[in-house]
Amino acid sequence: MKKLMLMLVSAAALTAHSAMAKDTLTISVYSFAQDAYKKALYDPFEEICDCELVIETGNSVERMAKIEANAADPVIDMAVISSHDALSLAQKGLIAPLDISKLSNHAKLYPAAQDPIGNNMAVGYTFYASSIVYRDDLVKIKSWGDLLGKDLAGQVSLPNITGTQGPLTLMMLDKALNGGSGDFSSVIAKIGEDADDIVTFYSRSSELAQLMNQEEVIAAPLGRFAWSRFKNSPLSFAWAEPEEGQAGGMNVMIMTKGNGNEELAYKLMDYWLSTEVQTRIAEALIDSPANKDVVVSDEVADNLTYGADLINSLNILSPAEIIANRDAWVEQWNAEVIK
Amino acid sequence: MFLNNREGLALALPAAIFSLLLFLVPVAILLSEAFRSDTGWTLSGYTEFFSKPLNQVVFFRTLKLGVLVAGTAAVIGYAAAFCIVNLGPTARGRIFGLVVLPLMISPVARTYAWIVILGRTGIVNDTIVGLGLSDTPIRLLFTETAVFIGLLQLFLPLMIISLVSAMENIPRDVIPAARVLGANWIQVFIRVILPLTKEGLVIGGTLVFTGALTAYITPAILGGSKVLMLETLLYQRVNVSNDFVSASVIAMILIVMSFSANLLLKRIATARS
Repeated sequence: MKKLMLMLVSAAALTAHSAMAKDTLTISVYSFAQDAYKKALYDPFEEICDCELVIETGNSVERMAKIEANAADPVIDMAVISSHDALSLAQKGLIAPLDISKLSNHAKLYPAAQDPIGNNMAVGYTFYASSIVYRDDLVKIKSWGDLLGKDLAGQVSLPNITGTQGPLTLMMLDKALNGGSGDFSSVIAKIGEDADDIVTFYSRSSELAQLMNQEEVIAAPLGRFAWSRFKNSPLSFAWAEPEEGQAGGMNVMIMTKGNGNEELAYKLMDYWLSTEVQTRIAEALIDSPANKDVVVSDEVADNLTYGADLINSLNILSPAEIIANRDAWVEQWNAEVIK
Repeated sequence: MFLNNREGLALALPAAIFSLLLFLVPVAILLSEAFRSDTGWTLSGYTEFFSKPLNQVVFFRTLKLGVLVAGTAAVIGYAAAFCIVNLGPTARGRIFGLVVLPLMISPVARTYAWIVILGRTGIVNDTIVGLGLSDTPIRLLFTETAVFIGLLQLFLPLMIISLVSAMENIPRDVIPAARVLGANWIQVFIRVILPLTKEGLVIGGTLVFTGALTAYITPAILGGSKVLMLETLLYQRVNVSNDFVSASVIAMILIVMSFSANLLLKRIATARS
């Protein structure tokens, strides 16, 4: 009996040891669609690498703060964030340049995703279009300028300046109102003048979905990644194709500097960028592919930011411009819009 | 009760250590951020905070709504409490249960209910349009009015509970005696009920005012980014700007406002007596 107990204890200890001995990769990601990501990416990767993924989620500010606070001894090995947040981390010296030779799928990416912030500090893994979601049974949208027109007064919501969609909306309103002057101060001033006609300045797409489904708001700018919240609604929502075009953005992968887990991080990056995984993620309508070899059905493509023509047509706001001007925009926004 | 003070202190020690290590020390460290700069101790965080017009607006809006909510809760609370203490035991228990019931429901659920009620297609706007008072729905959500209503509904039970407890201790014959001696109801309230329930008013007022200042869910949902209050501004500073210095300044302002309200109410109660 004693022998049996000893064998059981030894077996348990060995199992525990082998489980503990597994390599661990800590990644920092956006908190949305984590169940779908687990199925499409995390679980298959853990099987392939025989490693354990530790997933940290949160909003961009929280996640960036964590990377900065642990710069001397990184707890995050790899992260996915917006291109301008990646540039901000790069300027602070918190991320390492990527060794492209370790990413076999790099050449399959659209050119814009291959080196989005320069010096190979990041690589794009998804694009998103940004346009206007609206109730097509109540109103017609032809231009971004319609958001500040009389027809939508009191029934429109705009994204807050502090979110990803805020600067993109300013850029497109600048195109509509000023022909694309590049100076957003007059746009912010105009929004300030019309602030009483704007229901609220939303921070999260889930918040907007609730407002639109309750018929508080009938039109608002939105990232295409959140379109799935609207397309199955009993209300009649449409995706606008304004004459100024759609705005666009990109989320990227980054490697924290000196994390000591680079090899495993490269493996995950490469796997994530592969045609197989990018197709799986696209078909699950989680993220739009940055890999140009991905082929999906027309139905799936309709729900994504898909294809070279669409991606090349997007109006992209340069990450450097966002970082250089964001503080001034927020200052003016607080003074003239939020009041 | 104890043979010596040491026994009493020993019993209190675990709770004291818990409070000290897990509450007071972290709060002190956090709040000290607001007084520190690269060069040493400073008040620049406060001067900078109050120099910005948006922060001034948010500060005075928070103060105004806190006072309005506490004041309105006191008026409604006195009427409700007076009614409750004069009911029979069975009815009193049932009504008191109804007053307490909202406290058992999550503030998130209660606040979301207001979105449905105050929305463009909600019961209030349906009634307004139905009665012909307005051709189109009135904007109620994302206004100070919505935040006021939400906060009042959230904290009114605390005021009623405090005042009921205080009124139950009023000797039963003093109000009839005042009436027999010729006092009208206003005089009865000012000269009899108010002085005898001042402790309840101080407790209720402090709870409601402090609650209204520090509530996050209700201003965030019903006010959004257009009706910022100090608590929602604090959240923005941490989660949007990663600005812990401003957040610490706001936290310190909220603490000072809460303590000041308590001291002021106590002072008023003392002065009246």
